[in-house]
Amino acid sequence: MSSEPIERRISYLGDRLRGRRCLICGKEYFDLRDYCGNCGRKSFGKMADIDFFFEKGKLELCTLVNEPTNKFRKFGSYVYGIVSFHDGRVRVPGRITDMLIEDEEIDYSALEGKEVVPRFRRRYSVGKSDIIPTISLAFTFADEYYPHQEYVILKPKKEYETPGIVGYGFYTSRFRIKEDGLERAVPFIDEDAITAAVEAGKLALIHSGVDHSLIGKVYVGSESNPYAVKPIASKVAQVLMLGEEDEGVQGVDAIDTEFACKAATSMFKDAVALVNYPKMGIQYAMVIGADNSQAAPRDCPGGELDFFVGFGGCAYIFGKTDVIAEVEGWFSCTSDTPDFWRRDGEPYPMHGGRFTGDPAYFKHIRKAAKKLMEKMNLKVSDINYFVPHQPNIPFPVKIARELGFKEEQYLPGLQFGRFGNTYSGSSPLGLAAVLDIAKPYERILLVSYGSGAGSDAYCFMTTSQILEKRDRQKMTVRYQAENPHIKYVDYYTYRRLKIGL
Amino acid sequence: MRVHYLASNRPVIVAAGRTCFGEHYDKQPEWLMEEAWLRASEEACIERKDLEACFISDYFLLLTNKLGLEEGFLSELTELHVPMDFTRSFSSAFSNACNAIQSGKYDLVLIGGMEKMTDRLAKIRDDLMALGDPWSYYAGGTPEANHELMLRAYVKKYRIEGDDFEKLNLALAQISVKNHLHALKNEYAQFRRKITVEQVLEARKSAKRLLGMYDFAPISDGATAVILASEEVGKKLTDKPIYVLSSASATDYLSYPARSELTGFISVRLAAKRAMEIAGLSPMDIQLLEVYDQSTLLEMIALEDMGFCEHGTAWKAIYDSCLNYKGYYEINGRKLFVNLNGGLKADGNPLGATGGAQIFEVFKQLRGEAGERQAKSDEEIRYGCVLELEGFGTKAHVHIFGRESP
Repeated sequence: MSSEPIERRISYLGDRLRGRRCLICGKEYFDLRDYCGNCGRKSFGKMADIDFFFEKGKLELCTLVNEPTNKFRKFGSYVYGIVSFHDGRVRVPGRITDMLIEDEEIDYSALEGKEVVPRFRRRYSVGKSDIIPTISLAFTFADEYYPHQEYVILKPKKEYETPGIVGYGFYTSRFRIKEDGLERAVPFIDEDAITAAVEAGKLALIHSGVDHSLIGKVYVGSESNPYAVKPIASKVAQVLMLGEEDEGVQGVDAIDTEFACKAATSMFKDAVALVNYPKMGIQYAMVIGADNSQAAPRDCPGGELDFFVGFGGCAYIFGKTDVIAEVEGWFSCTSDTPDFWRRDGEPYPMHGGRFTGDPAYFKHIRKAAKKLMEKMNLKVSDINYFVPHQPNIPFPVKIARELGFKEEQYLPGLQFGRFGNTYSGSSPLGLAAVLDIAKPYERILLVSYGSGAGSDAYCFMTTSQILEKRDRQKMTVRYQAENPHIKYVDYYTYRRLKIGL
Repeated sequence: MRVHYLASNRPVIVAAGRTCFGEHYDKQPEWLMEEAWLRASEEACIERKDLEACFISDYFLLLTNKLGLEEGFLSELTELHVPMDFTRSFSSAFSNACNAIQSGKYDLVLIGGMEKMTDRLAKIRDDLMALGDPWSYYAGGTPEANHELMLRAYVKKYRIEGDDFEKLNLALAQISVKNHLHALKNEYAQFRRKITVEQVLEARKSAKRLLGMYDFAPISDGATAVILASEEVGKKLTDKPIYVLSSASATDYLSYPARSELTGFISVRLAAKRAMEIAGLSPMDIQLLEVYDQSTLLEMIALEDMGFCEHGTAWKAIYDSCLNYKGYYEINGRKLFVNLNGGLKADGNPLGATGGAQIFEVFKQLRGEAGERQAKSDEEIRYGCVLELEGFGTKAHVHIFGRESP
């Protein structure tokens, strides 16, 4: 049984790695200490809030844990040690994550002294009805898959009439399964939709340079929230400190949405409307689509999805300053088409297969795309990039061709073959891949699809500022797709990692 | 500094008793306590009605055995209604008892310690971590990991490489072999069997770490009892009272990674220094030493932290002494008998009772009643010292005992 107050306190401190610095003697604590042990009474009121969430640490000492405590048993073996921040002013215990240790010999002295980056992860295994414990005392090496990136808040340079994307981030893990030439992202055992959402949001903050406290609303779309009741968005808001914080409460609205794979894209227009509504005073809104895409094992009912599912999160920040892509228009359509579903309490979704193609995916994407182009009076040749939802390769290719798009228009956004179907993050991932490479003043048509069923079509027009922000993000889609530190796993390991702690 | 507060009215130990350490799945913890008490009371020829107070310790019996308030079940069991106080370690209880005797409040008290760890074997390592250092636990730490990290820190700090590194590894293995050898003669010990250096090394190899199964103290059940009296009363009960010359403790952060010192324990250094000061002795005067060898490394580190060896050098003395082991370490030309009961490694480590077994050993040795394992030395053995830890050096207790009050 979880203790809610203990969980709250550990998470509040440990998810963000919060601490305080004594303004008198400079001593730092990984703890929200009201006074400094050295300076005593005179330090009351002179302790500054700090945190190590965006910092780079150093692995001072490490060892192998191959007989973990019960709650860590599912990790198998891992490297554990002491991590220091700020030139050793603070030292914390830490687990090195994203390492699958089999029988190989590890040279610990080679790991000691290396720079590490804190990662937001699940802490350990608990019972199925317990609160899911999280922590950022998990680290990966800064010279591997996940580089250290500073979060620098920038003063906005330019105001826009039309709201749009001011920053974005795509996150997936370093693990992949490769089958029939297709690669799919696999979460590490301590990752899930919650951790992917936070990581994606973190990357979007870094890319945008937006002050986290100015974000007024965060939406998280997912169909694999490990909770039936309890939002992912509240975790994102707390860990990323969105909105002004006051007494442990963030001044931000946070909501989870669900509509199969269009749970996130549906909220783009809401975010745009919110930041554009003058009386609201909301400068920025964040929309995240994140999924540890679910599928039954391939020999079970619903198991055909097991060949397609991926893992990842994609976050977009919308606003009216330093926009990189303006939202020109949108059109959404909906019908009650039961092509794919998951009943409450069931671990895996089902789909009969009858409706998957024509009456579901193709019909809604076709409708939304055509209506939007009609509404905006656009021809296929007016559009530089077409990004449809991508549950596999044939579907997006077929609809792109049918609508008249050429390979150079739809291939840059087609990322299924590198990451698999990231469900709520699928078309947002395609959009991110295009934004990574698009030149100023190019038009992008995004059409999502969510089973159940519906589609959201959006037109984006890139601005000149897309280029100046590009250098701010190392974790691009391509960087993650072609990273030399990617680890490939076999089917058995993939299932084990996907099921998680 | 009030160095001399223990110089007058020193408490004396009149008797000590204990159970075997090991797994006692058929025994309630209070039965173990009863057994240890009976042995001690028989030795002192006292009845439980003679007791004026009880100072009892267990580390986490409430958690592991869910017996209700320990004072309550002991009172019911013994029909005693005297004051009872519970602490986490035997040494804490012992310290409090010393203070009470010295203050003149009581003349005869029982100090008892018990633990029943094997009842909760499946969860015990999680419990130990959660109680020992929650943040290390949340980050994936294990009870063994800190020892491993300390050893790595030690090797790095003192730049121990090549042959020296091999010698250090062998010295640590010899500590375990030596402690098992001592336990052969201890009828109460958990492990009464000889082990070899090869076995220790093999266990490390299969663990893929610097320290293996034979480097760590086991999980144990057991109970210990010590009867403490004022000098006046003690002398009536026995003609061989053992004097408590000093009892000191010190503390350090809960979390080992956050501490400033990673190659030893500040708590041990402070407590040992203070204990020597109070007793008016130096490490050179100590001949018997019972240290808290949760791991072989901690026995070595203790020799440094307590001032017997220079920092970074204890492994050399151990290595040289164990090449042809004669029953003691030779440090600076002097004999130091360490962990004659087998240490925590071989005698066992039932947390709340462990300190009692350490004091039991020094008591028996100083009285010359340790039988087969009696320390053999050409000089008279006058002083013994005990180091007990709580957590991973979070708290250190050092007690010094003597055959007479100087």
